[in-house]
Amino acid sequence: MKARLLAALAPLVLLLTPASASALQVNENFKPQNEFKLDPWISIHIGGLDLSINKAVFYVILAAIFTCLTMVWIARRMQARPNRVQTAVEAAFTLMRDNITRGNMSDAMAKKWFPFVGALFLFIWFSNMLGYLPLPTNTEHKVSIFGAQIPSLSLYAATANLSVPLALTLIVWFSYHVEGVRAKGPVGYMKSWIPAGVEGAAAGPIFVIEVISHFVRLVSLSVRLFANILAGHLLILFMGGGLVVLLNLAVAGSVVLGLVTGTMAIAFFLFEVGLVATLQAFIFATLTAIYLGGAVAESH
Amino acid sequence: MDLSVINTLAATVAENEAIGRKAGKAIALGVGAGLGTVGPGIGVGYIFGKVIESVTRQPEMRDEITSIQWLGFALTEAIVFYAFIFGLIAFFLS
Repeated sequence: MKARLLAALAPLVLLLTPASASALQVNENFKPQNEFKLDPWISIHIGGLDLSINKAVFYVILAAIFTCLTMVWIARRMQARPNRVQTAVEAAFTLMRDNITRGNMSDAMAKKWFPFVGALFLFIWFSNMLGYLPLPTNTEHKVSIFGAQIPSLSLYAATANLSVPLALTLIVWFSYHVEGVRAKGPVGYMKSWIPAGVEGAAAGPIFVIEVISHFVRLVSLSVRLFANILAGHLLILFMGGGLVVLLNLAVAGSVVLGLVTGTMAIAFFLFEVGLVATLQAFIFATLTAIYLGGAVAESH
Repeated sequence: MDLSVINTLAATVAENEAIGRKAGKAIALGVGAGLGTVGPGIGVGYIFGKVIESVTRQPEMRDEITSIQWLGFALTEAIVFYAFIFGLIAFFLS
């Protein structure tokens, strides 16, 4: 077993020896970061604002259309004896309503905020899942099919761009503060940030820490979603051929490296599609519900 | 001593500096992202270990524990990517 493992690792070790390292000619023409570059497709400039339609805008609109159409379509075709799709959507609905929303806030609040939290979950889920579907959106490299220049297939997700998670986070951030202020008044809301049991001189520093933690939520909520999706896409990109092209090895080395990284690419792809996409949507919705519930809760 | 020697020396230094800067970026990405995985790695292991412990103690709480488990897993796992993203920023954007 050990010998077989060593034999499998030998080509990798050979790649790391100084002799091969000095012979390594990194392919300068391949720029992996261009995979995430946003070329304007339809240039729109209003004053200093750049409102060009590009890949990211296309993915946001696509995710929104998919979310609305699928849900409306399934809602219209509800049957007493549900088929498989309806069962899955009903399970998702129960998850959103009972686990995510009702589990983290009072019933009155849950009634009010369930549509928002549910829509957030579905939109992020569709956006993440669309990101693993190869679509012809790479306008940098084109493929000629019967003379027509068609953009090559590429992976991209709206949530792999910081702007989209940040916009969603800002909506969440402002809504939970507004809910808190409406429930307790501005002063009462600020006071509720200090945990119960803290009195006197200790309240000042703790209040400062709480203020900082509210601003850190802005960063953590948006960067968590963005970084997870971006890192997943980068892993798939590098493992599924990017590394082989970048390292520019000899034929034998490329084949060995390609087989190893290609297998890993499939594993990462399954991991991303099966777990990360759904989990991140779930986390975002759950944290939104926790923040909303925490803002109006009586004690901290 | 000819002044052109200084120019040659300066050119060599500049070239070395460019290589050094590139190496520094690569080291920043590798070491930063690599060390950044250590803490969350321990954390994820700890979460799953505790989940196994809890479920074996109270199997009837399994469903509740599972939902908390994924929350904890995702929150911990995200920390890897914070390190990774800052490494990428150092590598590509600086």
